Amino acid sequence: MEYGYYPGCSLTGSAKKLDQGVRQLCKKLGHGLTEIPDWNCCGALEYGDRNELVSISGENLEKARGMCKEIIVPCPACYKNLKDADHDRSFNILSPLELLSVENLSQIEQKRDLKGQVFFPYYGCLLMRPEGSSIKNKNIMEEAISAFGGDINGENMKDRCCGGNQLFLNKWATEKLSTLILGKSKGAVVVFCPFCHMAMKTFAVGRKVIYLTDLLLYVMGENNSL
Amino acid sequence: MNTKDHEIVFKYTGYRREDFSVCLGCKICASVCTVNDLSLNVNPQELLMKLFVGEKIEGDHPLVRYCTSCYRCTTACPWQIRIPEVVRAVKESLGVESRFEKAFKKSLSIWGRVYEPFVVAMTALDLLKGGYIKYMPKWMGYAGFHLPHKVKRLKPMNASKGSNPSEKGRS
Repeated sequence: MEYGYYPGCSLTGSAKKLDQGVRQLCKKLGHGLTEIPDWNCCGALEYGDRNELVSISGENLEKARGMCKEIIVPCPACYKNLKDADHDRSFNILSPLELLSVENLSQIEQKRDLKGQVFFPYYGCLLMRPEGSSIKNKNIMEEAISAFGGDINGENMKDRCCGGNQLFLNKWATEKLSTLILGKSKGAVVVFCPFCHMAMKTFAVGRKVIYLTDLLLYVMGENNSL
Repeated sequence: MNTKDHEIVFKYTGYRREDFSVCLGCKICASVCTVNDLSLNVNPQELLMKLFVGEKIEGDHPLVRYCTSCYRCTTACPWQIRIPEVVRAVKESLGVESRFEKAFKKSLSIWGRVYEPFVVAMTALDLLKGGYIKYMPKWMGYAGFHLPHKVKRLKPMNASKGSNPSEKGRS
């Protein structure tokens, strides 16, 4: 299927790995992605004026109008903002996680398995909250990991906040919150949010922090994905 | 903060003063608030009450300084009040944003996107003083680099400022 694609700012820089993973995974699943021309920043969490934020995010929907109805948005902050800006629900804003299901995961040509390995699927906040702009299947990462034989840990911590957006404001706060989550979970941290990825990468000691996209590509036999 | 500042918060968020009168005082927002994991003893409900009755809110209020926009309060709230957005509006109305947040917005106004190297350059002193340099090798290991790209904007920045508050879709 063909989709519009909104990478968002971090996916061109600090979360380039997520961008590459999403593009590669979509290709393998048979989906085409066409980037929204001249997309602009969604405003992230930095605007107190809701009208201003909706206006900034909504501009991307105007740029996509006539080009596509379904837009893939990997970054959870962008995903939330674009959903909030789509007042009349004229678009279907999707996280790449929403392209995954137990059915289509079972059709993946599996080259490796995850047996004997422990994973902590960590969603963070904006994929899970607030209701109305969260993903529908809030267990999809566990389902994907289990489908390939991996063990799950840390379920109680999967939607706690890592404090990622405080990293450059109050580093101690992010360190404390991330460490709390890491301390109550075991195994490789599997993330989907650039904020969470950065916070966990920064403060995890001796733990792998990976995007789910890279884990799935590893299962599919890609050599350099992890 | 005075009543006039409160009006800006209502305008920014689309909430009306009376929207906060429904708060039951259950403090469930406080019990789930991520800021309390930092042992800062905040009660988001108290902030809503200050807005409702027109009491002053200080810029160094822990919730204003440390809210992580996790929306745990919103999900728990019987009225689903989007407290992080209220806090963000308070922060902006008080003009207490950090250099990092200002650099973020500046980048957006120049290029239409956040160009991370620009934000790093604008906050270099803070990064240096704050002990962030030791993390740089870790971050550079997975980041991508590109030159800035200026995008075409359909609307000039701040086009929405001063628009009719009644157009806001807060239900």
